[in-house]
Amino acid sequence: MSLAIVDAREWQNLLDLRTGKKVKDDDPRVQAPQTATLRDVLRRHPYPGDSDPRSNRWVTDSALDLVAAYEPQLACVVYGHQYFAGRYTPMTDVQRKGMMEELFAEIDRFVARSGYEPVVVGTGDMVPLEGEIDLGKLEGLAISSHWSARYAGLHRATPRDLDHVRSLAKVERVVGRDEWLAAFPDAEAVPARVPEHLLLAEEGWTFVTTGTPMRRPVRVPGRGFRIPLSTRLGAAPSLLDIRGLVLSGAAAGKKVALIVAEGVGMNDFLLPFTPCANQTGWHYYEPGDGFYLTLSTGRHQVFAYPSGYNYLDETDEKKDLPFSGYFLDFPAHALGDDFPGKSVAAGNHSMFVHMVFGADVCMECFARNLYNQGGFGVIHRFR
Amino acid sequence: MECTYCEWRCKLGEESFGVCRMYHAVGGKVVERFPDRWSYTSSRMEALPFYHAWPGARTLTIGTRGCNFNCRYCSNAYVALADPAAGADDGTHIHAMTPEELVAMALKLDCRNIVFNVNEPTVSIPGLLRLREEATRAGLPMGCLTNAYGTEESTEALAGIFDFLNVGLKGFTSSFYGEYIGVRDVGPILRNLRTLARRRHVEVTTPVIQGVNDGDLDDMADYLAGIDPEIPWHVFRLLPEYEMKDHAYPSIDAISRKLEAARKKLRYVYFHNFVGSEWVNTVCPECGMEVVERLSLGCGGDKLEGFHCTGNRCPRCGRAIRMCGEYAPTADRATAACAAESEATA
Ligand code: SF4
Repeated sequence: MSLAIVDAREWQNLLDLRTGKKVKDDDPRVQAPQTATLRDVLRRHPYPGDSDPRSNRWVTDSALDLVAAYEPQLACVVYGHQYFAGRYTPMTDVQRKGMMEELFAEIDRFVARSGYEPVVVGTGDMVPLEGEIDLGKLEGLAISSHWSARYAGLHRATPRDLDHVRSLAKVERVVGRDEWLAAFPDAEAVPARVPEHLLLAEEGWTFVTTGTPMRRPVRVPGRGFRIPLSTRLGAAPSLLDIRGLVLSGAAAGKKVALIVAEGVGMNDFLLPFTPCANQTGWHYYEPGDGFYLTLSTGRHQVFAYPSGYNYLDETDEKKDLPFSGYFLDFPAHALGDDFPGKSVAAGNHSMFVHMVFGADVCMECFARNLYNQGGFGVIHRFR
Repeated sequence: MECTYCEWRCKLGEESFGVCRMYHAVGGKVVERFPDRWSYTSSRMEALPFYHAWPGARTLTIGTRGCNFNCRYCSNAYVALADPAAGADDGTHIHAMTPEELVAMALKLDCRNIVFNVNEPTVSIPGLLRLREEATRAGLPMGCLTNAYGTEESTEALAGIFDFLNVGLKGFTSSFYGEYIGVRDVGPILRNLRTLARRRHVEVTTPVIQGVNDGDLDDMADYLAGIDPEIPWHVFRLLPEYEMKDHAYPSIDAISRKLEAARKKLRYVYFHNFVGSEWVNTVCPECGMEVVERLSLGCGGDKLEGFHCTGNRCPRCGRAIRMCGEYAPTADRATAACAAESEATA
């Protein structure tokens, strides 16, 4: 049973990850040496905040500390500052370039100090926001979930709604549920959770729907049909194949680091790379749960929490995994689950890193809508 | 001409807008500069926070722009303190919506009520009066978060619009309000808090800045207990933003110890706004049973975990638990029980 450690600065609380309930002092998980170690690591690294320029340094420092403490064979490391900062903070080209250089300096620092064999993947370029498509006045319900830019789900749409959205110049396409399901015949789906219609925005455009954050972005994910991949472990033609590279590298006795650079595409990637397909027909994964789960499990996860699904009904009520965002259960076949050796994960993508990789020991920030709550640790396996 | 919506009592002209920049004087009347401009989303009551009103309910949360305070630690400065004339160009979302459209949105999202929570409602009273009419027709109660710096007249107006209010009692001295909030006198706030608590369901929220206002917690507890010891009090661990971004986070253990005395004076004292707080459950003041369980994700992420009351009473000893409206997360929203209850106890 997974243990969660909340670190709200100078104060920690130990909880059962599935129930969210406080764990009693005599619980064996509390007494485990791994718990004491992770508590110390969390204490040593107070999170500076998503928009703080020190945020990515926090990732490197935390990841190095975890690697030193647990000596895993696999480290998953997520750098997200440039995605959050770039999304909301207007920057000059020079500032953006500086931010990217700092990101890659942090990646270099982690790789050099840890000595792990890196597999570095970017989630795709960000492009300036050109405009927004307001769907607030439809008769049906439009939802653009998880900070998505390109996708919005349409629920209970009336014929008038459909005529309207089809007439919108910046809506690239309206995809019916059946068409979407047919595009991914091998992906597991609960069809009822898949929106009746999925709307696609043109590049640079995004939807405004219920649940859209109050802040307006200045940049949004661009067309991420292909993403950059840097590795010496071999070729990965598509996002689905990266997991295999990591496992084969580990099977060859290497210590491997799977490093994700969020909001970085081929235009900004500062390492030698090969393009890797992130495309199925009209679909590409934005930097969210679908991308990460596909990367981690090596199989399409487009319907696990489908773009535009009506998360309101699921997140209002009491649910398992209350500290894990909209995740309803542990994903099957996450990389850490299937990995034979020890694994750790660290990153500044809140309520996320511990779920998508399933590493033995995970450490991430705890931030909501960019408000910094502190740090969050999870131990899935005590080994 | 003088604006009498709040105690700034600004002098307004057609092109002079007062502290909040939301009103001007046209044709001998104080009118809104940006009528029917709203932000909206849906949320849960516990997240706002309301712990004793419509537990677990989904709510349409709305806001406008502008504020009559200038809190040095404001966590919503990008909305509340932005120039309202900038409209959507201030980097946030704002929509032209009629009261009918807002109410339709609330119904479409299966919300049980509407809560104004982004900025200060005093700066948008005429629009809120129009919205109230429409919400009443649809059977939707309304609530708000307010800093209670209105005049006596506009406080009466707020009590007419809103069935439940969460009043921000940010400090207890005029010197605190002068230095950190930008207004001279705490007096009107204490007066209005008393008025509102007489008229409507009121909860109170106090953000704590360690070393600044934590020394006043006892006095605040005394004051609230003098009004009504059943007033729910939310003590917030302040995560300073805006001008106080670099101020230290308050110590959870130290503040919690300070609240022990308050717990003897007030029946419902909560300490939260940080993830994993242990001080978010409602305990029956009579028998000590945990009658409402909640979970804190910090920063507007609190959730209902379990509601064990029977008809808003402790299921073990039968004591009444202060509650405005009933537990019913979604659907069957037609009962505005809260309004009737709170008027009856006035
Ligand atoms: S409501 Fe605004 S304009 Fe009116 S007195 Fe207050 S600050 Fe001044």
